[in-house]
Amino acid sequence: MNILILDSWLKEYLQTKATPKQIGEYLSLCSQSVEKITKIKNDWLYEIEITTNRPDCLSVYGIARELAVILPRFAIPTKLKPLAISQQIKTTDKKGLPLEVKIKNPSLCPRFTAIIFDKVVIKPSPKVVQERLEKSGIRAINNVVDISNYLMLELGQPMHTFDYDKIKKAKMILRESAGGEKITTLDDQIRPLSDGTIIIEDGEGRIIDLCGIMGGKNSEVDEKTKRVLLFIQTYDPVRIRQACQKLAFRTDAASRFEKGVDPEGVLIAMEKAIEMFEKNAEAEVASQLIDIYSNPPQEKRVKLDINLVNKIMGVEIKQKEIINILESLGFVIKTDGGSSVTVTVPHWRQGDIDIPEDLIEEIARIYGYHRLPVKLPPLAIIPQNKTDLSKWKTKTKTALKFWGFTETVNYSMLSESLLNDVEIKPEDCLRIANPLSDEWVFLRPSLIPSLLQVAGLNKKEKIKIFELANVYLFQSENQLPEESLMLTGLITGESFAKVKGVIEAILEELGIKEVEIKPYQLQKTFYGKIFHPSCRAEITPKNNTLGIFGQIKRNLALKFGLEEKVFVFDLDFTQISKEANEIKKYKAIPKYPPIIEDLSFVISEKTYVGEIIKAIKTTSQIIQSVELIDSFENSRTFRITYQNAKKTLTDKEAEKIREKIINNLNNKLQAKLKQKD
Amino acid sequence: MQNLKNQAISSILETKNEQELEELRIEYLGRRGQVTKLIKKIPSLSPEQRKDKGNLINETKKIIEEAIISQKKNLQHQNGGGKENWFDITIPGEKPAKGHLHLITNAIEEISDIFKRIGFHSISYPEVEWDWYAFEGLNMPENHPARDEWETFFVENLKHPKYGQAVLTPHTSSGQLREMQRLGKPPIRMLDIAKCYRRQIDTSHAPMFYQFEGLVIDQGVNITHLKGTLDFFVKQYFGPQRKVRIRPFHFQFTEPSFEVDISCIVCGGRGCKVCKQGWMELGGAGMVHPTVLKNGGLDPKKYTGFAFGWGVERVLMMKYKIDDIRLLFSSDLRFLKQF
Repeated sequence: MNILILDSWLKEYLQTKATPKQIGEYLSLCSQSVEKITKIKNDWLYEIEITTNRPDCLSVYGIARELAVILPRFAIPTKLKPLAISQQIKTTDKKGLPLEVKIKNPSLCPRFTAIIFDKVVIKPSPKVVQERLEKSGIRAINNVVDISNYLMLELGQPMHTFDYDKIKKAKMILRESAGGEKITTLDDQIRPLSDGTIIIEDGEGRIIDLCGIMGGKNSEVDEKTKRVLLFIQTYDPVRIRQACQKLAFRTDAASRFEKGVDPEGVLIAMEKAIEMFEKNAEAEVASQLIDIYSNPPQEKRVKLDINLVNKIMGVEIKQKEIINILESLGFVIKTDGGSSVTVTVPHWRQGDIDIPEDLIEEIARIYGYHRLPVKLPPLAIIPQNKTDLSKWKTKTKTALKFWGFTETVNYSMLSESLLNDVEIKPEDCLRIANPLSDEWVFLRPSLIPSLLQVAGLNKKEKIKIFELANVYLFQSENQLPEESLMLTGLITGESFAKVKGVIEAILEELGIKEVEIKPYQLQKTFYGKIFHPSCRAEITPKNNTLGIFGQIKRNLALKFGLEEKVFVFDLDFTQISKEANEIKKYKAIPKYPPIIEDLSFVISEKTYVGEIIKAIKTTSQIIQSVELIDSFENSRTFRITYQNAKKTLTDKEAEKIREKIINNLNNKLQAKLKQKD
Repeated sequence: MQNLKNQAISSILETKNEQELEELRIEYLGRRGQVTKLIKKIPSLSPEQRKDKGNLINETKKIIEEAIISQKKNLQHQNGGGKENWFDITIPGEKPAKGHLHLITNAIEEISDIFKRIGFHSISYPEVEWDWYAFEGLNMPENHPARDEWETFFVENLKHPKYGQAVLTPHTSSGQLREMQRLGKPPIRMLDIAKCYRRQIDTSHAPMFYQFEGLVIDQGVNITHLKGTLDFFVKQYFGPQRKVRIRPFHFQFTEPSFEVDISCIVCGGRGCKVCKQGWMELGGAGMVHPTVLKNGGLDPKKYTGFAFGWGVERVLMMKYKIDDIRLLFSSDLRFLKQF
């Protein structure tokens, strides 16, 4: 939470020669971060980010208290001017005006104080109050309302004022809301209350306060108000927070209450408030002080081992200095002899100091993190499994890059309409309970929809893109989804063979051999639906499927505005990385010359050329390679390399193998040798 | 014959211009040249000699021819400049295909590489994670106000009896508990880079982003080690002139907690519109909270550790001065092809 603090206001409590720049720098280094310092006329405004654990810093006084400790450590003499506190709150001598208060559950409101003023004159606040409020970002309203805002900024204690005469039967019941009640708040909003919200009702059952958040319209102080009930409380932070979340509404006061307000600070605020009522509103105290404080917090003590301080800070700090620092922050130290001390926590730090490490943070920040040396951690040996996933990822991505692919990174969430476009049922996907927009609702079970979308957005260009990312697959209600790493690519304006070549090259680069690429037959699967039925294939080394690729059906491509042929490959990279290896085998370079010849065959319809190549290759071990070099109508020409590693091959030997090939193809695949003219 | 060959080759190599070379050609291979004469004699030799000597002579002829051609090329090269040798080297080159890796990939590579050099081990953990790992186990019980900092996405219909509801990891810190559980005992030196998700979107927030999380746990690990690690990273990634500072902050899962700043890369630390009084926030860090060590199954009396976690996009946007994070996920090829 960011707060605005005026330099002149700060100086009311802080006697120092520090410049605003020094205050900004040193406060940031040792306490809360000063994000901005702005000059306003002859004053300066600090914008300070207060961390959630330090509600004690959410005020002018709180910041002054920190600076009084920090600035002297930078050799700038500084003194905190104490809050003038008399032990006795001034109340009326007479019996005074009555107020009956009932608190249903004391844990809702650890401290409840109230006092009534009479003869209140409603008018604008004195100029200095107005100016300070306005510069700190709060609109001045009238002298009474301004007092509560002014003291909230100065002391960090929110407070509320009621028109006493609007509280029916001078009675207040503080309780939890139940059964769907409503309140109209000061800002004229009707707010439905969820069960458990802390509220106050008056003697006629009207809800007059949404406690800790905003007052009710029906009990508001207005220009006719004569008698004011001032109200200073602390509330259960969790209740306030829940109420704000459910209302989707938060005020400055609520932001403080939900972080915890110090109940010991309540009377200080009360005393200051009385002073201001008398001075600014000519008011008279007209009641006894009501102070319901059934369970004051116990004094908190934390034991600290000095050795632990050094162990965590990494430098030796003398016990004397440690004690000095803690005492300057208001801690009370009792030495137990030896290296241990007992530290009593000041009331304004009750909420955030629990364990020795909390005290070490206090010591270290005031000592100054900037004074600690810079070292690398000891390089202990850590046994690790050999996991090469990131290596394979890098290798593959780099290869794709140099083959002309551009990598995309897309959101893991998809819209319902995109799922419908690719015929994925939304109910099969994991759904986000509180999506940010319709665009990002389902966790994607495939990267293909995203890539189609990207291709559609960039359709002016020839597309060659890929993404390497997780997809999320539901397993069961008490199991995390399967996160499967996929490598998916999309190419437009290329041939099937070019796309297939990319896949083969990836697998080759990753050392995956003995891959079989065969037609993908299933019709009803996701792939069955999106790919052209005769132009899709499955990649299967051994019995695992490594992935699918093929041509996207034309009507689907058109949905994304893609006119050209669209090819997609979808590879299971987790599986691929398991199969991948870098092992290369040395084979002696052949000493004897090969015989190379081209054979043309006339093949029958629907014969896969892959099967012909396989049949030729498996005819003899002497055949080193078979390449398809020409394809025309039903004629296929292959270049065959015969080579014997042990001797020079004779024409006769080659001829024998050739005959075997011709017979094989003729018998098994009805492919006939084309006679040379 | 050998002499003739050697003599011919050395004379050829000594020629200084094409005219000299031509003279030599005539001398050896011309119609009345020395080699030609020998060739003419071959038919008159006895059949046995004919085969051996004939081969030898033919081979000599071939070698001399080759030497002349090669020398001719050399001479042309040396003299150069002739009109027939003019070549336009300014024609545009034909580049091999080249694509582009995503900026984030490059940043991740660079970051992991820097940490690898000081012994960090890269790993990644689930993106859909149980509440316990993301919050509860990190010392943020349900309803804790600190949870507000993480605008969390919840996943429907996934609930673990012990670990609570499933969330999209709002930070990589959930990996801290996973790593402690995986290794069982220190030393731990982890770098976890993964996608994270938060319910927010503006120029500096996207609902999906990457974080990297460092975790070091061992006996005797202290704040100076954290400072050293951060300093090493910043100087490697942003350059040696960058300054780093840590200042107090608050996280429930570290104590003490810090925010890490580097001197502004725009103004160099003097203070400007982009930075906060000369400093730019990099991310959070701290000493692992004893409760978190305990939740990870480690003895907080024996071990201490530090952790840090920052957005990958944040550092790369700072480095490349990109002003809208959403561009990174827009998949606009006009943007992606710039890198």
